[in-house]
This record gives sequence, structure tokens and C-alpha cells, in this order.
Amino acid sequence: MKVITTKGVVKIYNPDKIPVKALNGVDLEIEEGEFTAIVGPSGSGKTTLLNVIGGLDRPDEGDVEVGGHDIDAMSDNDLIDFRKQHIGFVFQAYNLIPVLTARENVEFVMLLQNRPKKERHERAEELLRAVGLDDKMDKRPSELSGGQQQRVAVARALAPKPDFILADEPTANLDSKSTANLLDIMARLNEEEKITFVFSTHDQRVIDRARRVVTLVDGKVATDEVRG
Amino acid sequence: MIQTMAWRNIWRSTTRSLVVIGAIAVGIWAALSLTGFATGMVKSYVNNAVQNIVSHIQVHQPDFLDENEVKYNIPDAGGVEQAIRAEPGVKAVSVRSVVKGMISSSQGARGVSIKGVEPEEEARVNALDENIVEGDYLSGEGRNPILVSDELAKKLNVKVRSKVVLNFQDRGGSITAAAFRVAGVFDTGNKPFDLSHVYVRRSDLNNLLSSAADSALAVGLLAHEIAIMVDDIRKVDTIASSLSAGLPGLEVQTYRQISPDLELYEGQIKNISLIYLTVIMLALVFGIINTMLMAVLERIKELGMLMAIGMNKLRVFLMIVLESVLLGLVAMPVGLLLGYITIDYVGKNGIDMSMYAKGLESFGMSSVIYFELAPIVYLQVAVGVFLTAVLASIYPALKAIRLKPVEALRTI
Repeated sequence: MKVITTKGVVKIYNPDKIPVKALNGVDLEIEEGEFTAIVGPSGSGKTTLLNVIGGLDRPDEGDVEVGGHDIDAMSDNDLIDFRKQHIGFVFQAYNLIPVLTARENVEFVMLLQNRPKKERHERAEELLRAVGLDDKMDKRPSELSGGQQQRVAVARALAPKPDFILADEPTANLDSKSTANLLDIMARLNEEEKITFVFSTHDQRVIDRARRVVTLVDGKVATDEVRG
Repeated sequence: MIQTMAWRNIWRSTTRSLVVIGAIAVGIWAALSLTGFATGMVKSYVNNAVQNIVSHIQVHQPDFLDENEVKYNIPDAGGVEQAIRAEPGVKAVSVRSVVKGMISSSQGARGVSIKGVEPEEEARVNALDENIVEGDYLSGEGRNPILVSDELAKKLNVKVRSKVVLNFQDRGGSITAAAFRVAGVFDTGNKPFDLSHVYVRRSDLNNLLSSAADSALAVGLLAHEIAIMVDDIRKVDTIASSLSAGLPGLEVQTYRQISPDLELYEGQIKNISLIYLTVIMLALVFGIINTMLMAVLERIKELGMLMAIGMNKLRVFLMIVLESVLLGLVAMPVGLLLGYITIDYVGKNGIDMSMYAKGLESFGMSSVIYFELAPIVYLQVAVGVFLTAVLASIYPALKAIRLKPVEALRTI
């Protein structure tokens, strides 16, 4: 089943002054359960594509369909709700809520979904255990290492049971050990829980683990390689 | 959890939050103290006027109020006095004869209102006996004693035991003159009043006021004014209207009617506190806006992330408003407590304004002001601060929800 479909997506920054075509007609389909890396040099449009798929940004041309919903037809507030229900985000800079503990960070999105307290609590613990942070649940982000923070971010992204997870350069700030650890966790979740992962990266370690690699060059899909 | 976040967010920048909490607390304290000071001053003015001059309630023959002539005395003053004393809530009653006349010494003369009083009863209605600064209060002994104020004594250049002459018209219309000896000098603190009033014994004055036509009995009971003190100033209106109903043909007035300036001042207390509150809260609004704006601008990226992961605009808006309200709620008890302590302390011990007392006394206020504050003002201030905090957070909160997540996330 297709979870993401983009057709002829064009995104232009600075349309009035010096227009920059960040995306120049991207056609892409992503199936449920994929573990896909979007790669390409800096400025090739990886992050823009992720933002457009994630409903954080709107394309200037073309269609984006996510889980059967037309992103462009939604209002800003609908998009916020849509993201909350369907998409999990992992950011390059972790972007956890600094005043909340690891457990609270994971619970937060479920709170936004108005899930009952008990369920939030249990799921947060389950997810933090799954990413190997059993003993760090009550630590705030400032007390965690980068790798640990990013694992909290993955747990947070998974909490609302999204259709897929978008990760924008999730390993860019991590050392090799943390990177390997994070990739193990994501790969396991992908295999065991059938969670769809799409990440942008130019980290070779990530690219090596991906089962599909989409290469963007100048805002277009240059190659699309599916590995066994 | 949004409450938890808001609460923890305000402590991310402890110093900044403490500064704005301090500002709000000081603002509350200032609003309370200034209102307490203003109230204390007004109350001091009103109390001075009530105790020294007007008393709570006065009863006159209506024509006396208009014409001020001795012939308009209160008919059956003895019966009226008894009726008044029988009224529940009445604490003290003083029956007076009053005549306008002139006081003169070898050095000068002035127009005065001459009040003939029963010394003991007058002392219960009036602080006159306590206001004696030289000599003695009126007593039953001696011939024609008179009390003059220190201000008047200076003008006339007289001292205790000096002789003065009073001139006035008696009930028959003839001009009468009589010599009095200064028994004591008083000072009520109200200069205009002091310059224009003297006190003598009622029996002395009545003898002088009687014309050939009056019988001895009628002379003894002659009265123009009955001054009343009640046990609770808040009951003045009820007691006055009850007296008025029981005393047909007589004019019963409360201190507010006798001295409309007192009513004006009393009425101003409410406005004063609202004006202070408004000015201070307006100043606080800008302080809070500034703080909250900084708090929003320095976490644009975080707010972008919150919206990216699904926190809707209403919740972001409420979170910012809540942070501002929490700042106010932390400051509120501190400010209220400081204000309460100040008002309680100065309410008991008073603040000595003698540096400015000359000015105050010419307005009829005491030189020591005791702060006073109606409990409702604490509530007004609390509500005011709450509204201020909400008001001040609206602009920063709007700023926060106008962020576009993707742009906000891109900021460093």
C-alpha cells in the first residue's frame, strides 16, 4: 500500500527576488514498510522534500498525497492535526522539549491526541525501553547524550502510532557508536513493527543500511535504487 | 502537561522571571500602599471632621440652617433629646445653643460662631476636651468661661485668663455684649474651623440670649443644635432616617449632608484606588510584554517543533498566556502580602507626616496618617493583576502562533 505519493512537486524559495527551485518536479512513491534513504548533496532538496511530505511546507506545484489525504487541501490547523495523527518526526537537532523529561517528551504527543493517562504512561515506558533508555526515563534532555536524545526523539515519533516516520538527517550530530545503535533500533522497528521510515541523509553509514536509496540532484530524482 | 511545561518554562530564565515577578510584586505593593495611604488620609480627614466638628448626625430646626438666627430654636429640646437618647445605636448626644457673633479683645475682633455646650456631654460627642492645648476645659466653676482656639488666640493676642468680649443679637433682636474669660485654648488641627468657633457654657449663653419675653424655664432649655455620635459609623444613615421619622418638623442631617466635602472625599477613595491600579498595571503590561516576547523569540525553533509534532495554535497560544499568568500568580501573593504587612504596620503605628503637617492641618487632616484599606481592594488588585498578565501575553502569544513551523525550525 502506498503511504506517500508525490507528483511533479515543485517548490520555489524566494519567488520574488532570486528564485531558487529547491524541488523541480519530484515524482516519488513510498510503500508501507519501506526503509528509505533520500540522499544527495547539500542543496539538492532533501530537507525540502521531507518538509513537503510531512506537511510542514506546501508545494508550489504538483500534488502530495499522504495516507490518501491531499496535503494541499488542508488548512494550517488541519495540517497540524494531520501531522499529529499520521506522521512522526525526528529532527537533526533532536528538538526535544527541554523542560520535559524523556518520558514526558514521549507522552506529550499522545497528550495532544487526548489519550488517557494510563495508556500514555505505559506506551511511553514501552517505547523508551524499546530504544534502550529504561534507566533514563526521568532525565531531561540536557542530562542526556546526543545519541540518547535522538533515541528519545525516535520514541516520541513512534508514540502516536504514525503511518510513517520522517527523519531529517537523524545521525548528523551523532558519533559512530550512537549512529550504529540508532540505526539498529530503527531497523528493528522497521522489521518487527513494520514501521515505515523515510530519512534524508548524507551519512554513508545510514545509506549502507537503507533498503531503498533515492538520490536527489538539483531538486529532481536522479536515481532510485531498491536493494534486496 | 501544558501547565507543567508553562511552569517549567518560566524558570528556564530564572533571573528574567524573578525580575518581572519582582516588578509585579512591587507594583501590587505600591498600588495597595498608595491606596492605603489615600484611604488613610481621607479617613483621617473625615474622622477629624466628624470628631471635632460635625459629629455623626446633627438635628436643627430647618429655618435655623437657612437663616442662622437664634429665634429658630428647637422646640421642646428636652423632649427631643430624650427621644434621641432612646434611639438604639446612639452613643452620645450634645445639646447646643448657637449664635453668630463677634469676639473682640483689645487687639482685634473676628466674626465667630458661638456654641453654648454642656461641658460633659460635649466631651462625649466631641474631642474638644482632648484638644485643649493650654488652660482647662469648660467646667461648672467660674464666671463666663470661654474656649478659643490657638489660632484665634494669636489673632486676638489673648492668652489663658485673658478677657474677651462677645457681641451678638439676643432672641429679642437687641445687641448684647458680655465679657468672658479664656479658660482654655484648643486646637482641632483644622485651621478654618478653629478660627471661626468658640465654646462657652450653654447656660451662660442661654442667659444672654433670653429676651425679656422669655420665661426662665424656656431659657434653660433653649437649644439650636443637637449633635449625635453613633456607635458605628456605618449605621449613620439608618439611624438618621429613623430619627428623622420620629422627629417631624426637625431637620436630621448626617455628616455627609452637613459637610458635602466629606461625602466627596469618601466617594473618591474608590476612584483613587482604581486610578493607582490602572496606572501601575499599565506600566506592568509593558514589562510583561517585554519578558514574554523575549521568551517567545528565544525559542522560536522549539515552538516550531511543537507545531510540527502536532501542538495546535490554540494550545501554543494558551501555553504562552499561561506562562504570563503564572508569572502574575507567583508575584501576586508576594505583593499582596507585602502590601498587607505595610498597611497593617502603618495602620497601627501611623506614618508621621509632620514635615508636611502645616499643609495637612490647613486642610483639616492630622499629621500622622494611619494606612487603611478595604478588603475588597485586595481582590480588585488580584483581579487587576490577573487581567494585566492575560492582556500582556496576547501580543507575544499571537507572535508565537504566527510562526510557520518550517521557518521556525530553520532558525538557529
